Amino acid sequence: MRRREFLLAGLALPLLAACGRDEDAVRVDLSRREEPVLRQLPRAVTYAYLPQYAHTVSYERHRLLLDYIGRATGIPLRQVFPDTFEEHVRMVERGEIDISFSNPFAYIRMAASGARAFARIIEPSGKPDFKSQIICRRDNKELRTIADCRGKRWMAVDPSSAGGYIYALGEFFDNGIRRSDFAEISFAPGPGGKQEKVVLAVFAGACDIGSVRDGTLEILRGRIDLAQIRVLAESKSYPGWVYCARAGFSPEIVEKIARAMFALRYNRPDDAAILSAAGMRGIIPAVDADYDSVRRLAETLGLDALPGGEE
Amino acid sequence: MIPRLSALSFRTKINCGIVLIVGLIAIPLAYLTWRAAAESLQTETRKRGLVLSENLAMRVSDAMLSMDLLRMKNMVDELKKVDDISYAFILDRQGSVLVHTFSGGFPVELTDVNAPDGPKPHIRLLNTGREFIDDFAAPVTIVGTPFGTARIGLSRTKAEAAADRLALMIVFYSAAAMVAALAPSTLFARRVTERINRLKRHAEEVVRGNLDPRAGPDMARACSVMLDCDKTRCPSYGDNRRRCWLTASPDQRGEGPESCRDCPVYREQKGDEIQDLAETFDVMAVSLKTHLDELRRAERVLSRQERLLRTILDATPDLVCLVDENARYLAVNRAFANFLGLTSEAIVGTNDRDVFPEDEGEAMHEENSRVLAAGRPSDREVRLRRGGSPVWFHVVRVPVVDGSGRVIGLLRTARDVTQLKQFQEQLIQSQKMESLGKLAGGVAHEINTPLGVILGYSQLLQEDVPDGSQIQADLQTIEKQAKVCRKIVADLLGFSRQAESAKIEMCFNNSLMEAITLVRHALSLEKVVIATDLDERMPIIYGDPEKLKQVWINLLSNASDALDGRGGTLLVRSRLFAHEQKVTAWFADDGPGISPDNVGRIFDPFFTTKPVGQGTGLGLSVSFGIIKDHGGSIRVETPAPEGFFDALDAPDDDRPGTVFVVDLPLDHEETIGGGLPANATEA
Repeated sequence: MRRREFLLAGLALPLLAACGRDEDAVRVDLSRREEPVLRQLPRAVTYAYLPQYAHTVSYERHRLLLDYIGRATGIPLRQVFPDTFEEHVRMVERGEIDISFSNPFAYIRMAASGARAFARIIEPSGKPDFKSQIICRRDNKELRTIADCRGKRWMAVDPSSAGGYIYALGEFFDNGIRRSDFAEISFAPGPGGKQEKVVLAVFAGACDIGSVRDGTLEILRGRIDLAQIRVLAESKSYPGWVYCARAGFSPEIVEKIARAMFALRYNRPDDAAILSAAGMRGIIPAVDADYDSVRRLAETLGLDALPGGEE
Repeated sequence: MIPRLSALSFRTKINCGIVLIVGLIAIPLAYLTWRAAAESLQTETRKRGLVLSENLAMRVSDAMLSMDLLRMKNMVDELKKVDDISYAFILDRQGSVLVHTFSGGFPVELTDVNAPDGPKPHIRLLNTGREFIDDFAAPVTIVGTPFGTARIGLSRTKAEAAADRLALMIVFYSAAAMVAALAPSTLFARRVTERINRLKRHAEEVVRGNLDPRAGPDMARACSVMLDCDKTRCPSYGDNRRRCWLTASPDQRGEGPESCRDCPVYREQKGDEIQDLAETFDVMAVSLKTHLDELRRAERVLSRQERLLRTILDATPDLVCLVDENARYLAVNRAFANFLGLTSEAIVGTNDRDVFPEDEGEAMHEENSRVLAAGRPSDREVRLRRGGSPVWFHVVRVPVVDGSGRVIGLLRTARDVTQLKQFQEQLIQSQKMESLGKLAGGVAHEINTPLGVILGYSQLLQEDVPDGSQIQADLQTIEKQAKVCRKIVADLLGFSRQAESAKIEMCFNNSLMEAITLVRHALSLEKVVIATDLDERMPIIYGDPEKLKQVWINLLSNASDALDGRGGTLLVRSRLFAHEQKVTAWFADDGPGISPDNVGRIFDPFFTTKPVGQGTGLGLSVSFGIIKDHGGSIRVETPAPEGFFDALDAPDDDRPGTVFVVDLPLDHEETIGGGLPANATEA
């Protein structure tokens, strides 16, 4: 009998060993409940970047700049994140955004509601303005001049893209080519890197012509054989992205902020890091009149209110 | 009361074994699977929780930047839809709850029990009292800046319930498998049990001595058919009841059953172990039967031989016995037992001292011991007393040795040689008599001449003396006694065969009648009647008429003497046996007969029952010599054969009578000497 008991004990032992846990549990009483109340945020100057990218990208690009301005002016700034261009414009109109950083087309809409430009940026190209480039394959014998683009397949960056579409569209318009003259107008698919996608589509022959903002080809140097790409035409240059203050915002604060912005120098490493993160070479003073050329183009093309897009 | 394991039936044992096997496999398997599943689920839960929390933290960053509470709420509510997610909530940089999935307020204790480990998420096991929850705290970081915390609670209890369900399922399926296994195992056990029981019944039959039933199955075809084999002397030839690899002779099998592995017969007919056992059992039964038959046959032979030996031993008049090394009887034959007047069983185990008279037993025992000690046979004639008369035995002792040459006993054979001994004595006596006869013959021959002179001179002298004178009377007495002497001398000469024999062809009946005529008158004076019954064919023999006549006269006077003067009848009969070339004569009297003691001696010379002076005891011995000289034989039968005198008017029936039977050959050749014996009673 003793042997049988040992056998049973041996069988039962692993089962007994299974009981119990190998880590300590923290005792929590879930019955004590309270409805949470959000703390009021401290008052600060609100700063918004036209939502060209995800909020986190927007945050990342402008975080250092806001820190710098806050330190330089002693004015607390808080970046806010409107979800759409439209919301951005509306928030400026409603006074929820004090300082707006937007493209020229958004600005001319906001300017209509009283917002005033006080600064504009120097593009990474080193110039305060930029233009659109119309490209094709070098071996495309049919395309000699811009007039040859009629009846061709055109790939643009985005319907709201200034450099990637609108400026080129203006250039075609000036040359008497209307949108209906193209065999097809398509836009680069998916999010991110849309400028590059247009270059690759032309390179691959998926379309006959493409429109990108200047500087895009340099980004792709080394990745594709740029010798196979020919710049067929370039649009006129237009001013770049613009800082404006909402209507009724304190001109003193704007002045302080503008001074701090203008004080940034790309040749200073600290400033260069701030400017590079924000995708600019520097910030220079601007006035509303700088954007009349854009207003004219919009009128020409019949673009009233653009939802925004890539530069 | 739990029955002993060994007492359980085979079927129960198999079923128990299967239950035990399945149980032993299933329970640890279920346990190990449960453990592994629980651990795996836990690991997976942790991984999933980490992924979910980090994913939430990542996705929520945009909404946090824009303080889009609706999007955040949607995100956490979306997670809550997952079954094992107990809760999800998001804290801002200051630890304030932005959104959560609880209804009826947020449990305040939950806020601080877990926090991210720097930039990494952290897991903490919470015990809510009702369940265990793995709490995942993932930091919401934007460009390296902490913006808040995403928290998810995954119910470990629910995850473990899945593992428990898995273990339960394994146990359930194991139980189902066990039940499913029991059915075929029961069938299998029943099949095996049936076969074993059949084997058992077969064994019981064998125990009862019935070796004919078979336990193994029959084959469809015998090996000789399959292999087209023509070895008809092989025990397996044409046998489809037993497997050839068990029964075939070694020269057919090669190197034994191992060599059968590749044989098509073996491959087709090979069964499992139980069939092997049954077939081996069958072969064993057959072998046993064969051996038993052989044993019975041998037993019969032995028994017959023993009976024969016993018969021989019992039939032999010799006393045979076997004694062991201690001189004790091991076996005796019937003659021995009868001699001692005991049964064989009473004798076996005793020794000579126990069964023989004291002096005889001691002597025999000593002789036995001597032979046993020396190991050499002995050969003795011993004299024993039985019923007052001495009995002579020729005893031979032969030592019996075993395989190593050691004496383990002796065989003793004792033959009754009393008669032989008597014959020897008679022979010695005869030889003595013969010598005496020759001596007497020589003496008689020498005396015959002076006796003739005495007789002659006595007769001459009688002529010279006056008649009636005393001298004449004396001379007559001398003459008479001299004649008596001459008669004795003549008899002696005849006995020693020194008398001349003159054989001629003669009539047997005439010879008889001459003798009868000579004595008839003299015998009639003694009231003796002579009856004759002679063969009418008048047989002619070759013989000496005078001497034969002397024989007849001797026999007739001897018969007359036997009647002892009281008168009686003598019967003389003759018969010719042509096919046996002999003639036989019977001389019978109805006198008192001859005593058995004297029968053997009546032909001895000088043997007589008559008073001194009335007979010389030479008559019958002389007659014996004459008949023998004629190549015939003479013998006596007393009492006379039954019915011998029926042809006569015999007055007395109480006297046994005596018959002398004389056979003489018809052939002229004397070389026939000895003649042929005749059975007188058949004549």
